Amino acid sequence: MSTGNESILDAFLYETNSLLEQLDSIVLAAEQQDSFSEDDVNTIFRIMHTIKGSSAMMEYNSLMTIAHRAEDLFSIIRDKSMDGVPESLRPELFDLLFQTIDFFRGELEHIENEQPLTEDIDTLLQKVNRLIDQIRSGGQPEQAPAAPAAGDAAAPKADAAPAQQPAAQPAAAAPAGSPSGFPYGLQVFFDEGCGMENLRALMLVNSVKEICSEEDFTYEPQGVESNPSTADQIIESGFLIFFREQAQRDNAIHAVTSSGSVRSYQAIDRPAAEAAPAASAPAAAPAAAPKADAPAAPAAPKTEKKAAPSAASKAEPAPQQHHKESLISVNLSKLDQLAAVVGEIVITESMVTASPDLKGLKLDTFTKSARQLRKLTDELQDVSMSLRMVPVSGTFQKMHRIVRDMCKKLNKQARLVLEGEDTEVDKTIVDSIGDPIMHIVRNSMDHGIEEDVQQRIDAGKDPVGTIVLSARHTGSEVIIEIKDDGQGVNYDAVLNKAIRNGLAQPDVEYSHKDILNFLMAPGFSTNTEVTEFSGRGVGMDVVKRNVEDVGGTVYITSEPGQGMTTTLKIPLTMAIMDGMEVSVGGSIFTIPILNIRQSFKISENDLIRDASGGEMFKCMGNFYPVIRMGDLYQIDGGVTSVADGILIWLEAGEKSYCLFVDELLGEQQVVVKPLPGYLNRFNVKSSGIAGCTILGDGNISIILDVSNLYTYAQ
Amino acid sequence: MTQEDVLFQTDQASEADDQSPEAANAAKTEKYLLFLSDGLLFGVPAEAVVEIITGHTVTRLPLVPDYVRGIINLRGQIIPIVDIHQLLSHQDCASNCMMILQENDSEVGILVDQVQKMVDIDTSALLPVPPRSSRELVCGMYSLEDGQTMLAFDCARLLEHT
Repeated sequence: MSTGNESILDAFLYETNSLLEQLDSIVLAAEQQDSFSEDDVNTIFRIMHTIKGSSAMMEYNSLMTIAHRAEDLFSIIRDKSMDGVPESLRPELFDLLFQTIDFFRGELEHIENEQPLTEDIDTLLQKVNRLIDQIRSGGQPEQAPAAPAAGDAAAPKADAAPAQQPAAQPAAAAPAGSPSGFPYGLQVFFDEGCGMENLRALMLVNSVKEICSEEDFTYEPQGVESNPSTADQIIESGFLIFFREQAQRDNAIHAVTSSGSVRSYQAIDRPAAEAAPAASAPAAAPAAAPKADAPAAPAAPKTEKKAAPSAASKAEPAPQQHHKESLISVNLSKLDQLAAVVGEIVITESMVTASPDLKGLKLDTFTKSARQLRKLTDELQDVSMSLRMVPVSGTFQKMHRIVRDMCKKLNKQARLVLEGEDTEVDKTIVDSIGDPIMHIVRNSMDHGIEEDVQQRIDAGKDPVGTIVLSARHTGSEVIIEIKDDGQGVNYDAVLNKAIRNGLAQPDVEYSHKDILNFLMAPGFSTNTEVTEFSGRGVGMDVVKRNVEDVGGTVYITSEPGQGMTTTLKIPLTMAIMDGMEVSVGGSIFTIPILNIRQSFKISENDLIRDASGGEMFKCMGNFYPVIRMGDLYQIDGGVTSVADGILIWLEAGEKSYCLFVDELLGEQQVVVKPLPGYLNRFNVKSSGIAGCTILGDGNISIILDVSNLYTYAQ
Repeated sequence: MTQEDVLFQTDQASEADDQSPEAANAAKTEKYLLFLSDGLLFGVPAEAVVEIITGHTVTRLPLVPDYVRGIINLRGQIIPIVDIHQLLSHQDCASNCMMILQENDSEVGILVDQVQKMVDIDTSALLPVPPRSSRELVCGMYSLEDGQTMLAFDCARLLEHT
């Protein structure tokens, strides 16, 4: 794996591991209760959905397949509710979940140790499928499949074994090689002791015949229909089918998995294809060439065995160092604690060095050491602050992969444009927006960008779709926007779907805004098909939930034919911004620099009064209302004469006005802290207070929300 | 409070003292911290008290009720300060002594006139507040050994109070 993917891999491992932990605890708790609550089911469903998505992105197909089926399983449980699952099946359900978790864990370990993934997932897959069938059929447990459950439990462990000897796999795959012209091989093993292997193989051949014509594939050993002795060979080294085209093999795999008694199958060019598809095909072909003349000769595999591993090992990437996560998770409360202590140190340091006791003393060494100390504490403060702040670029970069992969799979053309990647955001926010952004980008790719390029050209748009992902800070929020130039939301279709799903009433008029909100209701999906990427209707639900968890809001706007914009507004829990300190009476306030246009020193005559006694100020050909901060917030002791104070011209979105304060104290970088929850009941937010910050001397300054302040003043 | 009342209560207290050996075994005692506010003796469970601080600068907040004095910076933590004096009698508290209390993960500071001492009280002898004389923020009454009556401060109520 290239170094560029390293950080993505780290993130994937870390994320999946923590999801598995969560899953584990849910299943454990549920097993105690012998039932899943509705919340549990939804959460498991989401976890599986996320694992499916990120595994697909990393091209870990086995993980994806299992997660997909597990998701299906919970989709059924979600629809039927837990009562639909008969008592008798529950233990099996829990067992299966634990096996699935163990499987994921095992695979992650393989990934961590740079070992190839277990290809053999059929036993587990079959079990999931069987359970799905049983639940669907209302659970008359079929006696036969239920009985071997205990035996099957051991199977996944056995499956993992081959993967621990990576060399064994290519070796096992190679003995047969593939006849020239048929580079894509499939090696099939039947259940141990099922008997009549040759006839089972014949049935397999027949079902493959239904998929592709006889000339397009070949198989060995030949003569399965007439020669019972081939059964032994099939037991020994599997039944081999070779195809001309990869697509044919892919189709055949479906046929193979659906036929009975198949224990496992393996695509033969696979280990190499994963790493370097270009290298693998030529490597496999020469190795196979000598073999084509002497099909099924028992001696041949022996010589092949030596040649093949070397060919395969060439195709494999150069061995890498043992891969371990370089990320550790630190409890955020510890970081808070650290930041608080560092703040104290800074204040104490200035108390010591500026101590009145030192007045009039000439202390050369002390001054020197004090300067050194100041430098170090500054550095310490910077580091402790930067610990929590991470640029969004990591999360944004991930989306490139998603867009690329989806372009290929959906056969659409689109590019991703990133804006404001270096916006630094609190760690908690980055964690919570990763999933939502992924879902939104997928939705845009899947539903937004037109199916057909011609549609775009007809609409006068660039044939290549564009998805813009941008991040920026406003005074009190981080705004993340995902904008596509696709077909936009079809309001009628959404409404009809909402009515069908029982989310909307048929005889009620809904505004466009209401209709867009249906998109974010749980269980809503406009896509009629369930695709690998989206269409299950958890997507926007996850988005809304995750964003709301951090106190944010999600808005969707859409213009039919012009595309759709999803905006995530997330409040800063702890972000750094540039602020202007102003004083009013005895109080100090911080105004985000971003909102300040200009400041003026004016005289009484510059103010114009309107009929209702409001004051206005004319600037650059426009009149702006003047708000006196001291009056608005009822602060005593401030400057009342206009000439003594200062006027600041503020702008936030559409709102533009002037604020009259006593004095500008200076610009400062501040860390935004939320106000204590106790104060929420007094609606401080809507009165124009965004949060507060601690000044260098330990005092508190209140951060203003320029937009809300104006609304409040009206 | 008249002299008689005091005597009577003292008697009662000593009676309670006499039975205490057995009662103490059976009953659960809890440490309460006594403080004065508006001339009333309050008590608050010691485990709810985070710390007692004096002399912190309180940053006033605009547009909040008078009883919310403002917020303080306690080692990087922002804590709201409530003037219970103001809440009970609509007069500002003159002292700058604050008691930081914790309830259900949220912290709040209250201004108090004077912090007194810790006492052990028998929680089973914590009497309900008579309905007629019900005061805000009091969730129980208790007769102390020295004859005074302690009002149990209702921390949760304060945080709910609007």
